[in-house]
Amino acid sequence: MGGVEDNEPPSKRVKASSRELKGVSNGLKQPSTYSFGASMARPLASQGDGEIIGSKGIKKVEFVRIIAETLYSLGYSKTGACLEEESGIPFHSPAVGIFIQQILDGNWDASLTSLRKIGITDESIVKSASFIILQQKFFELLDHEKSMEALKTLRTEISPLSINSNRVRELSLFILSPKFRITGVSGQRSAKPKARSEILEELQNLLPPTVMIPDRRLLQLVEQALDLQREACVFHNSDVGETSLFTNHHCGRDQIPSQTIQILQEHQDEVWYLQFSQNGKYLASSSSDNSAIIWEVGLDGKVSLKHRLLGHQKPVSSIAWSPDDDQILTCGIEEVVRRWDVTSGECLRVYEKGLLGLISCSWSPDGKCVFSGLTDKSIIMWDMDGKEIECLKGQKTVRISDLQITSDGKFIISICKETMILLIDRESRSERCIEEEQMIVSFTLSRDNKYLLVSLVNEELHLWSIENHIQLVTKYKGHKRSRFIVRACFGGLEQAFIASGSEDSQVYIWHRGSGELIETLEGHSGAVNCTSWNPVNPHMLASASDDRSIRIWGLKQLHSKQKGKEKSTSNNGVHYCNGATV
Amino acid sequence: MDIDPKQYEQIKINDKDSHNIILSYLVHGCYKETLESLVTSTGLKVTNAQLEDMEKRKRILHSALEGNALDAIHLTEQMSPDLFENNKDLLFDLLSLHFVELICSKKQTEALNFGQAKLAPFGKVQKYVGKLEDFMGLLAYVEPEKSPMFHLLSLEYRQHVVDNLNRAILAHAYMPSFSKLERIIQQATVVRQCLSEELGKDVLSPFSLKDFLKRS
Repeated sequence: MGGVEDNEPPSKRVKASSRELKGVSNGLKQPSTYSFGASMARPLASQGDGEIIGSKGIKKVEFVRIIAETLYSLGYSKTGACLEEESGIPFHSPAVGIFIQQILDGNWDASLTSLRKIGITDESIVKSASFIILQQKFFELLDHEKSMEALKTLRTEISPLSINSNRVRELSLFILSPKFRITGVSGQRSAKPKARSEILEELQNLLPPTVMIPDRRLLQLVEQALDLQREACVFHNSDVGETSLFTNHHCGRDQIPSQTIQILQEHQDEVWYLQFSQNGKYLASSSSDNSAIIWEVGLDGKVSLKHRLLGHQKPVSSIAWSPDDDQILTCGIEEVVRRWDVTSGECLRVYEKGLLGLISCSWSPDGKCVFSGLTDKSIIMWDMDGKEIECLKGQKTVRISDLQITSDGKFIISICKETMILLIDRESRSERCIEEEQMIVSFTLSRDNKYLLVSLVNEELHLWSIENHIQLVTKYKGHKRSRFIVRACFGGLEQAFIASGSEDSQVYIWHRGSGELIETLEGHSGAVNCTSWNPVNPHMLASASDDRSIRIWGLKQLHSKQKGKEKSTSNNGVHYCNGATV
Repeated sequence: MDIDPKQYEQIKINDKDSHNIILSYLVHGCYKETLESLVTSTGLKVTNAQLEDMEKRKRILHSALEGNALDAIHLTEQMSPDLFENNKDLLFDLLSLHFVELICSKKQTEALNFGQAKLAPFGKVQKYVGKLEDFMGLLAYVEPEKSPMFHLLSLEYRQHVVDNLNRAILAHAYMPSFSKLERIIQQATVVRQCLSEELGKDVLSPFSLKDFLKRS
């Protein structure tokens, strides 16, 4: 856009020029150029004197000014100037124009005078702006070895402003010696004068936007709109697909894993727990058949058995991957904790505590210690060799096997009472808690340590924010749970989804932000106890069920005839663009 | 639980102890003439070397207090060589007194030059940078007494530096840096505090010399 097209039929030109007369306010002469595109676009509805555009109260003057700003920042200064002329709306007042030029020329004293003429009413802003200008003057003087003049500026111009006295002290130090001028990484100490354009930018940010329009404001507004669209997109689970400004962003539900890709039937009894490793290369599952299995996720997405971990005498209720995915802990229910090497499948150590049973297991983030909950309600910490480091006594954990350490090592999280989750600060030993009204069945921690998903006996999932202030954020409903432990997990792109098992044999998937239930996956023939979403592949989900099987779910294939067939495998590596239908 | 003054009468004080306390106070404060009178009246012994030292110290402290910090430094170096080697903080404080003197006499250029020559080298060590900022900051104000660092121009500050100098010189000569009188009062205060902590709060009020003197 932005050029003269001379090959249009005369009638179109006439139409265009009559439209232009409407908005002209300052009696400017008729512009001699206009673009081809303008005659194709429909005029924007405006009310009254053409002051408001659209229906949300957008002022035409502001709208035109930010368009002009965009044109100038894109480098189209001729078009920008043309717009100013044609619309009769100046980009900024002449006084501001003079001010900007003086800053760029380094004409400090004059710019200070101009500063007072550009219509800023807030005296503190005028002072702050003066400070920025005078500071630049000060540094430029120092840069030219004019210390006495710089000192004079400091004494007679900067100090009397009576603001920022700490900075004034620092500035006096700069006069003292060159070596104080460039020290350290932080910009505060460095006294090489900044570029004048940078100063202009600082001033732009400081001055009210009515005086000086912030840089790239239109771009900022458009980016905000895109963010909002993305947040509202309930199926957004893929980076594939470009962002276009021509249509609103909207993913189809084909981005959510919803088709059984593989069924794994190596366990002999109910499968209670499963979890992908952090690197997404392995899946570990545990069962009431007293064993655990490590599965390998192939490059083609196919899952195959790697090792059977035998040795427990009781059902294995939970598993924990080490922070580097090299080792794995398994916990037999009220029995012992075993540590295994993932590559060899060998049991490296057994952790036990006398006659007490262990009910949960977790790693410290540095991979050097093992945490475990005991049947006497305390939490114990061992080093790799099995030596006890610490034991947190008191009612720290109950018989349910959930124990988590945040990945920054700061908090231990455990269910300490039927309706309460405890967050213990490892350093200060202080405790915070989440109180629920219903009995808690299980919980999961989000990868960023900021959220806790709690599964309750009344068939609700509660999402709590635990970062600073403990606060309930969202509730998710729909799944069924009445007798057993059913677990939920975070997953998908940026953990934007929640998945949970259910006693009605289905897997439930919600959009985390909106709480909307977006998928229920059928296929299992028994209660689904646990789900795990591959942290590295947002299109792979695994579920563990009482029907002794594990199902791997992936994206629905186009023209798929294999839906519902047992042991079907297919390539999970195919992605579809937005809008594909099944 | 305040102590019954009658209990004091049980304790006997030796005259010689009292004289020693006063002697140490006078030596500490360089009161040469008063000391000479006391010696004559009480028969205490003081050597000529001691009296000479006191005279020298007196001159140093007066120079510093009157704003002649450079003289004070010079004399100190003569009397107690390498004292400043181990007391860099003190040297800095004395130099800064001179700097302040220049500022108060409105000699900015001299002050700046002096600062660049003598104070800036301290800036290599991080802990002095804050102090340097404070002093250099005085330069930034046309009326330094109205700046946030005005306390650096005060007599109290100068007195504080001079006191430190005094203690340093005494310590350097292996003499006590606090007079016995000071120590006794300090001790009474601390003992009171400890007792307070042991017995529980608010049982004993902190030791107040003024109240004590009023009562006795």
